[in-house]
Amino acid sequence: MSVDVERREGIGVSRPRTDAIKKLTGASSYASDREFVGLLHARLVLSPYAHARILGIDGSSAIAIAGVRAVLTAADLPIKGEGGRWNEPLAREEVVFAGQPVVLVVAESEAAAADGAEAVVVDYDELPVVVDVEAALRPDSPLTRLGADTGESDAEMHGAAGSAETPADEDVSANVSDSRLLRNGDADAGFAGCDEIVEGQFRTSWVHQTHLEPQVAVAWPTAPDGVSIYTSTQGIFFVRDIVSRVYGIEPANVVVEGATLGGGFGAKIGLVEPLVVGAALAVGRPVRLAFTRTEDFAAANPAPAFVIDLKIGARSDGTFVALRSRVLVDGGAFADSAPTALVGGRVSGPYRWQDWHVQVYGVRTNRFGPGAYRGPTATQCAFALETLVDELAAKLDIDPLELRRMNAAGPGEERFDGSSWPPIGFTETLDAIEQHPLWARRRDLPPNEGVGFATGFFPGGKMGAGAVCRLDTDGGLTVVTGYVDMTGTETTVASIAADTFGVPAERVRVVASSSAGAPISGVTGGSMVTYCLGLATARAAEDARTQLLDRASRWLKADASELDVEDGEVLVTAEPDRRVAVADIAARVNGFGSSSAPVEGHAIVIPPEIAPSVAAALIHVRVDPDTGRVEIVDWVAAQDVGHALNPALCEGQMRGGATQSLGYALFEELAHDEDGRLLSGSLLNYTVPRFDTTPEIETILVEVPSAHGPLGAKGIGESAIVPGAAAIANAIAAATGRRPRHLPITPERLWRLLQSTPA
Amino acid sequence: VIPAELDYARPETVEATLEALATPDARVLAGGQSLLPMMKLRLARPALLVDIAALQLDEVWNTGDVVEIGACVTYDQLLRDGTSGVPRALLESAGSVGDLQVRNRGTVAGAIAHADPSSDVAAAFVAHGGRVRVASPEGSREVSAEDLLLGVFTTSLGPQDLVTHVLVDAERESDGSAYVAFEDRASGYPLAGAAALVRVEGPRVTACALGLTGVGATALRAPAIESAVVESGNVPEPDAISAALAPLPLDVDDYRTHLAAVATRRALTEAYTRALRSET
Repeated sequence: MSVDVERREGIGVSRPRTDAIKKLTGASSYASDREFVGLLHARLVLSPYAHARILGIDGSSAIAIAGVRAVLTAADLPIKGEGGRWNEPLAREEVVFAGQPVVLVVAESEAAAADGAEAVVVDYDELPVVVDVEAALRPDSPLTRLGADTGESDAEMHGAAGSAETPADEDVSANVSDSRLLRNGDADAGFAGCDEIVEGQFRTSWVHQTHLEPQVAVAWPTAPDGVSIYTSTQGIFFVRDIVSRVYGIEPANVVVEGATLGGGFGAKIGLVEPLVVGAALAVGRPVRLAFTRTEDFAAANPAPAFVIDLKIGARSDGTFVALRSRVLVDGGAFADSAPTALVGGRVSGPYRWQDWHVQVYGVRTNRFGPGAYRGPTATQCAFALETLVDELAAKLDIDPLELRRMNAAGPGEERFDGSSWPPIGFTETLDAIEQHPLWARRRDLPPNEGVGFATGFFPGGKMGAGAVCRLDTDGGLTVVTGYVDMTGTETTVASIAADTFGVPAERVRVVASSSAGAPISGVTGGSMVTYCLGLATARAAEDARTQLLDRASRWLKADASELDVEDGEVLVTAEPDRRVAVADIAARVNGFGSSSAPVEGHAIVIPPEIAPSVAAALIHVRVDPDTGRVEIVDWVAAQDVGHALNPALCEGQMRGGATQSLGYALFEELAHDEDGRLLSGSLLNYTVPRFDTTPEIETILVEVPSAHGPLGAKGIGESAIVPGAAAIANAIAAATGRRPRHLPITPERLWRLLQSTPA
Repeated sequence: VIPAELDYARPETVEATLEALATPDARVLAGGQSLLPMMKLRLARPALLVDIAALQLDEVWNTGDVVEIGACVTYDQLLRDGTSGVPRALLESAGSVGDLQVRNRGTVAGAIAHADPSSDVAAAFVAHGGRVRVASPEGSREVSAEDLLLGVFTTSLGPQDLVTHVLVDAERESDGSAYVAFEDRASGYPLAGAAALVRVEGPRVTACALGLTGVGATALRAPAIESAVVESGNVPEPDAISAALAPLPLDVDDYRTHLAAVATRRALTEAYTRALRSET
């Protein structure tokens, strides 16, 4: 399925990731692997209570243990900033979730640090705990945090929407940290004019990013008053600026080097660096903090839980009219990263609505502090909306694909957040699903089997991105970026540079530099790297190419406009025999005493608008009604990727996103008991998709080019996760006649649903 | 991740092992698949680990009526061993323990002595007349499953008792057995598991045994269902199974109780089918 995509050499061809062999053979070096002279090891003491006052901390037994160098509390860290989780890496007077770091023990060995952490005695005075977001919202709820926690937010990264000032017409508790209202027209009047209305309450759970490599960072003080950090992070400049603000160090004196990332998915954006930097500054030596898997769960920043009330209505001809929703985002113990601002941009789906009224609350509870996870808020919103659209199609007796197609938002139409839709490849993606044989087969299945379908989208983002494209002495290219490669983007960036400049991709190296030398770069996330860095790379490579032609014009005695670059040679277009190797030019201009300037292209860009990517999932399930177990029989993923620069990597993103959506749908839940203790804080009781529960995922690439992305590409990482959970819920409904409303759809939940009396 | 400090011994005789076990807070180390993770989380902190790997208790024997499994026989070894008479339900339950890495190190005897209420192999152990041979300073003795398994992670074994062998009744040609479990998808431990043994003469059922795991403080038998199968010569209806399970000391919610009934029905049906097949 291809729509007006210009095919170019090296682009649109599947290439293996440049880092694949190293990773598969264990040759990659991660943040834990680098050796440091004089390195100390840190171990955390975590709060066992979800809400308590700290009355006292006794580290005397710990410090007496051989090898223990320091027992650090919040008071020992030289913190200058205020508010939010980053400025409170260790709890001060009050702990607000079970698993919150309270003490950091620093020792000469990991074993001594573990012994020391075990010997610390913390005296707590327990306070009322609220883990249920609806209970926390009620006006009479105990406060989940007594002290203030105003702080920063990463919402802008993912596209904030909604006015924070709009007062809600509902009496709520002071646990509400954020309240946003988005509305258009008159929703009540809209519903009055509808022929069919469907509604429901949907619940989702806290979900962990479950990156393979736990959180890890090393920090060491640098003279006279700086710090350097080697870390598993998604954003070196982001971390630099956090550390700069928290510890009052000039940004230029905070040097952050990103290690090879062992997975992130949104989790690795500044969780551990404030801790490890504080320790390094306090003891004056290099300190490594590598979370254990237990700490990685307990002290995490996972995706928060949602309670979504949603009601939608349409006319009998299928036209969508009105949408009303109340969304509770469980903001956990640190409201600063609750993604309330993002909901407004997701809850509409990729549809056209006439009237809407959406009230979003961020509510503090005593559960973690929330963080980003691939496609934040979109998976949860799509689960609610796509379930109801499916129900609406049945009520209207309109084919569910056709119903979506007739209501697809078109270019220029208004989104809930006030922006307008660019072309999103929605109907083209629906076409791909409709043409798949599984869609035709859906009415011809044995009992307890069903086929479901759902769509989802992620708006993607845009950010300023810089790139340097340098011609090396041997005629190769080095692209310098400040982005950490999370998804194979270095391979894609190399292809873009090669294609633009005119050398084979094998001659391009991509170097992720430290914050001391890299061009300005954002966080690897928000589906923005290929879209923004790719564009910067193309521009920098163009700049370098222009410079190359200028140098070559003197050599070939022709005007630069008469020259072309082909396979590593510059030639005169009209007289192809007049040519010179790029390597020869490079050797000349880079030589000592050269009278020509070397070739180094620079670019800093920001795309003028976002490029949302629409994805769809078509899923065949088999349900065992005796046990509530669901088996995935077939899974078809279709997605508009704009232009598949490297189809293999696009398919990898789609399969990875689909697999993580399977976790959202059937398995993953960070559950707490009523005292706020984490019940599923290890891989022994937190279920992730495994090879034996994950089907083969068939991928269909849909290509509707973006106007601004590099060669028409769109950011695709996040859309890939969005539709799967909703599609599985719809497939289960097709198999059983009952509608799951609570993620994950565990065997027990589904069994209880099947046992219950239909409403 | 790093255990507390401890001592380690690897004796070469049973006598030396028993002597080492006299140390306060000594623990026997066989495959270590339960003990070591607990130690790494510091939920267990033995003063001395007594590793029995050198005791040469690594064989499976069929004496005719009884299968004897040495204390160091791993799940994987049992699965590959090929000794006749090892009950199929025991093999199936061993095959459903953990993952390949766990089965390569974990031992059948270790699982029984650990008395995990969700042990897969414990269901087949109790269904097949399981008992253990125990060495102690007073000599060797056999202890039945009923006398051994007292509660959650609790056995009647004393600090200087060493399980040297697990014994089960050998499966006969006229027997059919099967193990069916519904596992927690994260841990792999059964939420409910049932091991069934059905013995036939011609089309007639002459004996039945049923072991349940994951639903009580210990693996347990379900005598009412066993006699119902023998009396009726058939697998009871779901409602009858649920009713027969009700008086048992099950310690789980209605969902897992229901799963136990489903596992029971499916295990009995499979065991019966296998018994009939072996008859013809």
